Amino acid sequence: MSTEFTPIFLFLLVAVAIALSMMIASAVLGPHKRTKVKQMPYESGMNPFGDARQRFDVRYYLIAIVFLLFDVELLFLYPWAVAQWSGGVPAATSAPAGSTLGPVGIPAEFRSLVFWEIQFFIVILAAALAYAWKKGVFEWR
Amino acid sequence: MLWVAIGILLKILVVVSIALGTVAYLIYVERKVAAYAQDRVGPNRAGKELGIPFGLLQPLADGAKMVLKEDVIPGYVSRPLYMLAPVIAIVAAMIGFAVVPFGPVGPNQIMNFQIAPNINIGILYVFAIGSLAVYGIILAGWASNNKYAFLGALRSSAQLISYEIPLGMSILGMVLIAGSLDLNQIVNWQDRRVWGVVVQPIGFLLFLVSAFAETNRLPFDLPESEQELVGGYHTEYSAMKFGMFFLGEYLHVITVSYLTVLLFFGGWSLPFHLLNQNQIGFLSAVFKVMVLLFKVALMILFIMWVRWTLPRFRYDHLMDLAWKSLIPLSLVNLVATAAIVQLIYSSR
Repeated sequence: MSTEFTPIFLFLLVAVAIALSMMIASAVLGPHKRTKVKQMPYESGMNPFGDARQRFDVRYYLIAIVFLLFDVELLFLYPWAVAQWSGGVPAATSAPAGSTLGPVGIPAEFRSLVFWEIQFFIVILAAALAYAWKKGVFEWR
Repeated sequence: MLWVAIGILLKILVVVSIALGTVAYLIYVERKVAAYAQDRVGPNRAGKELGIPFGLLQPLADGAKMVLKEDVIPGYVSRPLYMLAPVIAIVAAMIGFAVVPFGPVGPNQIMNFQIAPNINIGILYVFAIGSLAVYGIILAGWASNNKYAFLGALRSSAQLISYEIPLGMSILGMVLIAGSLDLNQIVNWQDRRVWGVVVQPIGFLLFLVSAFAETNRLPFDLPESEQELVGGYHTEYSAMKFGMFFLGEYLHVITVSYLTVLLFFGGWSLPFHLLNQNQIGFLSAVFKVMVLLFKVALMILFIMWVRWTLPRFRYDHLMDLAWKSLIPLSLVNLVATAAIVQLIYSSR
């Protein structure tokens, strides 16, 4: 953690301040007339019945679990994609100014090994997708 | 140190005010595009008394209306979460701009057209912040205690997380080729070689489709789908709280357009090296900012054009598209790109 991220934290403060000022302005400037009907949940003018927080389809959970699997695996692929060719290829330039990191990347002699490892990794990922597919996770009736 | 902080704050304020002003006018442009697509005239009254044509003051009127309307908080909501949700939505949409380069960035340039110039994980940061928007939506849907809002939030979160995977994978090819997550490095690579859309056409298509879904724009606006769910997750929101969700959505459109241009259409670069990274100085910087803005404007117009051309997906089709088409396709694209890059780069 260094000064590189300072602008982002400043930006976060500014953004929160803007959001809060918008809400406060709206709350102060707008009229306030509470009526019983306004306080009801909106259901297209019908009288609301039951609780809105009902049980819902289990597929949403399944999708979320498969998403977790893929998203975590994806995080492994990003460092690989950066490192694979940034160790001395003409296309890759030096580290940006102010960066504390030196030149990084996979040394030339390991590149084909890492390449095949990543292919294997993606095959496992594809197998997981195929399994979920076959189990009917993606079937929405 | 203090002066540096003040400089950064000034940059942030300029970017935020330009972005919010642009959003206000984007809504106007959207209404005009919609009107012409449906053979209407669109907003053309606001400002007529002041002699300003084409209803150009409409965004001001809209903004004033948002602030001056009654801020109804229904009686059955969970107030803390209900208040928090629009804040998350708009903050997440705004701080994504921190690493987007609006022009040339580098040690030799007259200035860095980027709020946080030295972040070498740029694109990862944008995606991380972009996925925070899910929290705004799901909290809004849950806290509203309304059936429409609840269903909208459920659909929306499933849609957003499904399309995040192809979105993340679609850029891996570009990252691999350019060897960096820094948007400036990716633009510089495209400036030296070719535009990203030439080397990653499938990646571009995947990115475009997933980006439409991530911004909740039609044909993927299932979370709102006003004909079925009234307003989806923001049914119970009124006044500026509704406006904040709206602003957040349009800020996402701008971010996505910038990302598309930076990743696949060469950022500020022009064909035939008319503008390249070795040019420094005031004039070239101005031209680069203008070129980038022009490309982004075209992209935004394209997004609006699509909205008023295509009908909405059915929900099962939407999920099928993500899991059965886009994700397998992006896996294939990644494998093929890695193999081709391996062949080309290792033969050097």
